[in-house]
Amino acid sequence: MADAEQATARGSVRVATDVGGTFTDLVCFEADPETGHQIVRTAKVDTTPPDYERGVFEVLKKSDVAFADIAFLAHGTTVIINAVTERKGARTALITTEGFRDVLEIARGDRPNYFDLTYRKPPPFVPRYLRFEVPGRISYAGEELQPLDLSGLPEIVDALRAAEVEAVAICLLHSYANDAHEAETLAAVQRLAPELSAVASHQITRQWREYERTNTAVLSAYVKPAADRYLSKLNQTLEASEFGGQLYIMQSNCGVDTVDATRETPIKMVESGPASGVWGAAELGRLLGERNVLALDIGGTTAKCSLVEGGHVTIISDYWIERNRESAGYPILVPVVDLVEIGNGGGSIAWVDHLGRLHVGPRSAGADPGPVAYAKGGSEPTTTDANLALGRINADYFCGGAITADMAAVNGALDTLSGVLGVSREEAARGIVRIANHNMINALKLVSLNRGHDPRDFALVAFGGGGGMHASALAAELQIEKVIIPAESAVFAAWGMVMSDLRRDYFRTFLCDLDDDAPALLRETFGLMERQALAQFDSEGLDTTGVAFIRFARFRYRNQEHSAEVLLPDEGVTGGNLAAVRERFETNYEREYTYRLDTAVEVVGLHLVGQAEVGKLALVEKPVRGRDLADAEKGRRMVDFDLEGRHEATLYDGAMLEPGMTFNNPAIIEEAGATIVVRPGDDAAIDSYGNVILHVRQA
Amino acid sequence: MATELAHDESARDAGQYDPFTIEIIQNALQAICDEMFVAMRKTAMSAIIYEVLDMGTAIVDPKGNLASAGAGIPLFVAGLDKAVLFMIRKCEEDGIEIEPGDVFVTNDPYNGGVTHLNDVAFLMPVFVDGEIVAWTADIAHWNDVGGMVPGSMAPTATEIFQEGLRLPGVKIVAGGTPNEPLIEVMKINSRMPDFLEGDLWAGIAAVRVGARRLEGVVRKYGAPIFREAMERYLDYGERMTREALKDLPKGRFTYREEQDSGLVYGCTIEIRDDTFIVDVRDNPPEPGPYNISRDASLLAAQLLLKAVSDPRPICNGGNFRPLQFFTKKGTVFDPEEPAAHGVYYETVLRLYDLLWRCLASHLPEMLPAGHHASMCATVLGGIHPDTGRPYTIVEPQLGGWGGHPAGDGSSAVFSGFHGLTFNCPAEINEARNGLFVDRLELNPDPGGEGRERGGKGIRADYRVRAQDGFLTCFYTRSRFPPWGLAGGRDGSPNYVEIRRTDGTVERHAEVTNFGLGQGDVVRIVTGNGGGYGDPKERPRDAVADDIRNGYLTEGRAREVYGYDAASQSVTDTL
Repeated sequence: MADAEQATARGSVRVATDVGGTFTDLVCFEADPETGHQIVRTAKVDTTPPDYERGVFEVLKKSDVAFADIAFLAHGTTVIINAVTERKGARTALITTEGFRDVLEIARGDRPNYFDLTYRKPPPFVPRYLRFEVPGRISYAGEELQPLDLSGLPEIVDALRAAEVEAVAICLLHSYANDAHEAETLAAVQRLAPELSAVASHQITRQWREYERTNTAVLSAYVKPAADRYLSKLNQTLEASEFGGQLYIMQSNCGVDTVDATRETPIKMVESGPASGVWGAAELGRLLGERNVLALDIGGTTAKCSLVEGGHVTIISDYWIERNRESAGYPILVPVVDLVEIGNGGGSIAWVDHLGRLHVGPRSAGADPGPVAYAKGGSEPTTTDANLALGRINADYFCGGAITADMAAVNGALDTLSGVLGVSREEAARGIVRIANHNMINALKLVSLNRGHDPRDFALVAFGGGGGMHASALAAELQIEKVIIPAESAVFAAWGMVMSDLRRDYFRTFLCDLDDDAPALLRETFGLMERQALAQFDSEGLDTTGVAFIRFARFRYRNQEHSAEVLLPDEGVTGGNLAAVRERFETNYEREYTYRLDTAVEVVGLHLVGQAEVGKLALVEKPVRGRDLADAEKGRRMVDFDLEGRHEATLYDGAMLEPGMTFNNPAIIEEAGATIVVRPGDDAAIDSYGNVILHVRQA
Repeated sequence: MATELAHDESARDAGQYDPFTIEIIQNALQAICDEMFVAMRKTAMSAIIYEVLDMGTAIVDPKGNLASAGAGIPLFVAGLDKAVLFMIRKCEEDGIEIEPGDVFVTNDPYNGGVTHLNDVAFLMPVFVDGEIVAWTADIAHWNDVGGMVPGSMAPTATEIFQEGLRLPGVKIVAGGTPNEPLIEVMKINSRMPDFLEGDLWAGIAAVRVGARRLEGVVRKYGAPIFREAMERYLDYGERMTREALKDLPKGRFTYREEQDSGLVYGCTIEIRDDTFIVDVRDNPPEPGPYNISRDASLLAAQLLLKAVSDPRPICNGGNFRPLQFFTKKGTVFDPEEPAAHGVYYETVLRLYDLLWRCLASHLPEMLPAGHHASMCATVLGGIHPDTGRPYTIVEPQLGGWGGHPAGDGSSAVFSGFHGLTFNCPAEINEARNGLFVDRLELNPDPGGEGRERGGKGIRADYRVRAQDGFLTCFYTRSRFPPWGLAGGRDGSPNYVEIRRTDGTVERHAEVTNFGLGQGDVVRIVTGNGGGYGDPKERPRDAVADDIRNGYLTEGRAREVYGYDAASQSVTDTL
């Protein structure tokens, strides 16, 4: 693969492609050759299962981007998460420690809705007859208690072949502390059955809890063959073209990684969708001097939010899929950006339950039939329909003028709902928006207040199709003063993708007291982790000189389980800063839990981030052409701002706004893919990059 | 605040409140309960709280009605309103001033504690402008509160005085200032004072977090609409139950059942159009620690009503308004002071299982066949050979659930009185405690066959690493296994085996401070759930699948299912 500098020399175009369930999207960022100003282009084609790479190729062609000009191609995909949720992965087997093949089925024994006695536990991804055991034990301290005995492995491999297994996961007890038995088993399986796709748990995580780690290995094996085929074909397709740039795959940890590394552990892509938007918000915050940012992405089906503190995204390693108030779900111990996602987007359906209460979401009208206003058969009002009825979305410029909003149908749907509720049509529409806002506020609180952060210390970066529509009201409720609606907010997540670093997060369970011996122990273990990380970069032909490390450690008071993660000083933990590190832990802890304990502090885990810049897009200021604000004015109309009442609002054409413009009247800014609501009392300004900055009036 | 004014004005003008603000406040009640739960879980020191989540949180209205229940275990969340109600009455009767910043503590079943002395509840009045608008409350199981045995729950206790320190609903924080002497008394009464203090602050932190959030909500919208929202939420809860009652079979149902102890427990349930009546007066007294307070008995009836009416995860006191409940003083379900309660959890589960069984044949789509139906509480301790420090495990066990018309029972789930409860991973168990987990697998014992079969219990081997270990346990459904339904077979029993290094094996259901030596294995076996329907009607491919997966032997398949693996083998491979 050509190195980054060569690629830059060849071309300067940065492209993000994203394979979703319905559409494959492309966003292309390039500089206007004459003015140097940034041009953003988008393209969309239908997703092409099962040959997803075809859609990627098609969307690249459709966008008219010259393949040879592409320096950087970032690729995100929902292929992995879809394979899991649609149960379309490979036939998978498990090899584990003798006596523990049922761990995968026993799981943790919880029953989230304890009132329901007919609860059905989520079934394991590997049935019992495909779960095999090998003798051998490692202790929690990593010592061998009983040697590994692989004498039964040939028989196991025969059984795997007979059952036409495609993938095998290996997870042995305490492999987080010592991976020797697991590595030996993996090597033996690869030797005996090279045709099998094999994954061992230590390749993905070095954290304890055998059920979680086993399930992680199993799901990784489950998606690996499909991911492998897909990524290989994508690579081949691109190699056969004139593309000579760098292809990177978006990961769940807000970074990108190489195709080769992704093929090894594709499960790390599982939540890559929301990660790029969060990263974009963090990058934009750094650029604008806002180190503390709440990122909010409101799409058609869901809203996602995440907190960025001090410029750092929060990456966690205990992620669960399909977990809710009704089901235990499945754990995946991979680095995932810490976010809360709720079923509340523009297409979320408003409905009244059998006892007369109004709810919004989580059911969504999706893209088909879509909101009632699409006139494609939707009959239940959505948040988008309510925003149309309140005049916030322009019925005459719906979806950038691409669709004629069927307002008669919208009014009819709202009338049905308002009849049930016994309120007026307008009240029903306001109610829908208020409930939707409330749901999103709860989600924003979960990532801020519930983690001990005061939202008032943060700027809200809102994007996605609905971000600008709701941001001001949400900020007022949370007493956030500053809202940033990025330029091109509808495709902002793609911008985040092309701004990503190559990033790898390594988590490791590691136990020691935070005392005078800790600095040496931590130095040794971080040193080991860093050497392993560099060796991995090196083995993949990546330049290791540019790799920067960030170190975190998890601490707890002795005997507690739950821990707080603390960013360590650049020099690591030393005798000189031991007290300061403890203080940092206690400050974080007290912020979250309201008290301190006069108890010993323990280290329970290490978190190492290795990242390397792979050539970011330099953000260019937007040109000032000297337009007058009045030039951007499209008209005026009455808009219902619910609690603030009805006001005449000025309509602005977002494309005509330019840096330096300010206004403080109620307004609606209309862009092709988004609508920005400026509520009465808000001060709006366009910054030098074309972002809309709102200073929100506090209630 | 502009919004507040708007609401108050509209309320005066129209005589009613904005329904969407009401809705938003009601949602906030749920969110705050969940937030309290998270805060408590994260800070608790005892594994039984943070891993097993033997805890609960709730918001209670100023009259003592459960306004909103958090996650955790059902037994706890629906006990907290009763604790608050007790506290309100006690303060009235004794002339105790309730002040902002107060936090009350109780664990005594005769004084608002509901369950047993190990379960410590914190109750905090939430004041806005000098008035109580609600209470926040939480409860969790503490490892050791003193008493005659480590872990405090003694199967030989006959009086509550033997079961630990009694906290009768007193201020542990007065006007924001912690009552340090009381905390000192509590610590010195415990065998594990450091854990006690950590859990204590976790409990206090959680009610404070909840109170702070509630104050924010009330200040934003105003106290009148907040009160209205809580009241309407309770009304909503009541309507949930009343709507569902309409569809339940009406009549009077009675069930009597012999217990492992030889006592016979009985109940009568009458379902009417608008009332659900549970009568457990006709029951014996109980001399040991197996009594349950009237409030705990009421709780079992409430949860059964919830399960058969509207089991969606929305729960408040309104759900239980249609319930009438009758007990008789001096019986196991309504004991006289100072009867002991240490092992109350087993009896309350016995009562729940009895009420469940009483209605199951009439409501199989909501009530599956019997499950292992025992906490299988296991207390194991000794010295950790690597650290030299003592350890104690206090854990409930997973077991098999019963089959029901919609499918086979689940394997390895905690009992019906648990919910968001998690088992302890073997890897953490081995690090923390002085034992090796030799195996953790599904229970191979036969039982629970049916058209829809019962789920499997577990078989776990704990090998003790040092001398002078001990085991205390109390399992029920060891003589009488989980019950089958509609022709399904009974499941298999819960029991413990002590497998000595000399090869001897002893089987037990109940032991106290039982000595263990180095190398001894404690084998925990929990029941397979009862089957539903005639095993002969089980689809043949499902039987073949069970054999292939090792859930069933070929011999047992022939005997119970009438399935001959050899003659079926040709069609199976197709």
